Order: sequence, then structure tokens, then C-alpha cells
Amino acid sequence: MTPTVHARLTRAAPYWGPIAVGVAALCAATVVAAVDPHEAGHYPTCPSLFVTGFWCPGCGSLRALHNLAHGDVMGALGMNVLVVIAVPFLIWRWGSWLGETLGRPSQRRLAPPWAIWLLLAGIVAFTVGRNIPVLGPLLAP
Amino acid sequence: MQPNYGTPPNNYLVWAILTTILCCLPFGIVSIIKAAEVNSKWAGGDITGAYASSAAAKKWAIVSAGVSAGVIAIYFLFGVTMGVNSSF
Repeated sequence: MTPTVHARLTRAAPYWGPIAVGVAALCAATVVAAVDPHEAGHYPTCPSLFVTGFWCPGCGSLRALHNLAHGDVMGALGMNVLVVIAVPFLIWRWGSWLGETLGRPSQRRLAPPWAIWLLLAGIVAFTVGRNIPVLGPLLAP
Repeated sequence: MQPNYGTPPNNYLVWAILTTILCCLPFGIVSIIKAAEVNSKWAGGDITGAYASSAAAKKWAIVSAGVSAGVIAIYFLFGVTMGVNSSF
């Protein structure tokens, strides 16, 4: 899409962005819900896993999304804990974005820095944990 | 404590999280470091630094989106049969 078209659309209807992203996300969720990623061969292997042989922090995310779409929260936690935490956060951010484009005053505040460093530490610990024998059975998909 | 210097720059944390859990690439980690830097520098009063980290976070979001698109294109070129043990 050229910047001109983008600019024109944004000016005419600023909410088209979050609406388009929301529809795309729903379509993707429908596909992942319908085409089971637990079945081998339905989706390509995670490129990081394919290249390195290690579980990356995103491995199991499609299976976790599939489980979530079917209401199986425990199953999703078993596949990828991060996804179960991230989905509500992403929906909340999407809601704020939609609200801003509908004219609600922007309330951008930055989270306290420690929160993001903690998130980083958590992701690194999760990645290490799912690749070591002790925690692997619990954290790996 | 949030010092009042106007609107803080975007830390692109949503992109960092999407990259980390969906794109399966280490770029997500770099993006989260940049996001944390934005918040740290802003909280410490380093406005110029916060904007520089924000620009870096945006750059990494674009890089990871580009690489992800490339990886998906490669999968389509070589066929998804490569993924015999679905592990995404």
C-alpha cells in the first residue's frame, strides 16, 4: 500500500487500521482453530527449532493458540505459557488502539522500566528452562 | 514516578512480543531490550536517548517483520513438507 493511500484512509476513517488488524487476527485464529497444529505436517516447523534444534520462546505458540481457541487453557499453558500471558495483553493493547482511533484521548504512559526488564528475564529463563532436562517436560511444548 | 516531558516515545513492545511468540526468531529478544531501554531512559530523564531507543525498537520491528516474511516465502518455495514434525 502506498503512503498516499494509507494517509488518505487514515484521515477518512482512522479506525480502519485496528479493524483490519482485528479481522486479520480473527481469520488467523479461525484457521489455527480449524487446522490442528498438533497434527504433524499441517504447519511448517519453527525455523529457529529447525536450524538450532533448541526450543525457542515461541515454540508451541500455534498449538497454544489452538487450545485457547477451543477453551482449553490448561492445554495451552502446557504448550506455551508465554502465549497465555501475551494474548490478553495484546487484546488490551488492540482495544486501546481502537479506542484512540475512535477519538478517546490517548493515554500513553510508559510502564515502569523494571516491568519490561522482568519480562525480558522471564522470557530468557523460560527459553533456558524449556531446553534443560529438569524443566523441559514442564515448559517445552 | 513519571517525569513530565510530554508524550513518551513508543517502545513498540507489542511488536517485540508478537515477534518473540509468533515469529520464533531471536529478534524478539533484541526488540524487548530496546523497549526496556526506552522506558529506562525516559524514566531517567534521558529524553534524547529514549527517542533513539524508540527508533531502534522500530527498526528491529521492521527487520523482524521482513525476515519473517522471508522465512514464510522460503517455506512456500520449498514446500511445507519440510515441517514433518509440526513444532511451531
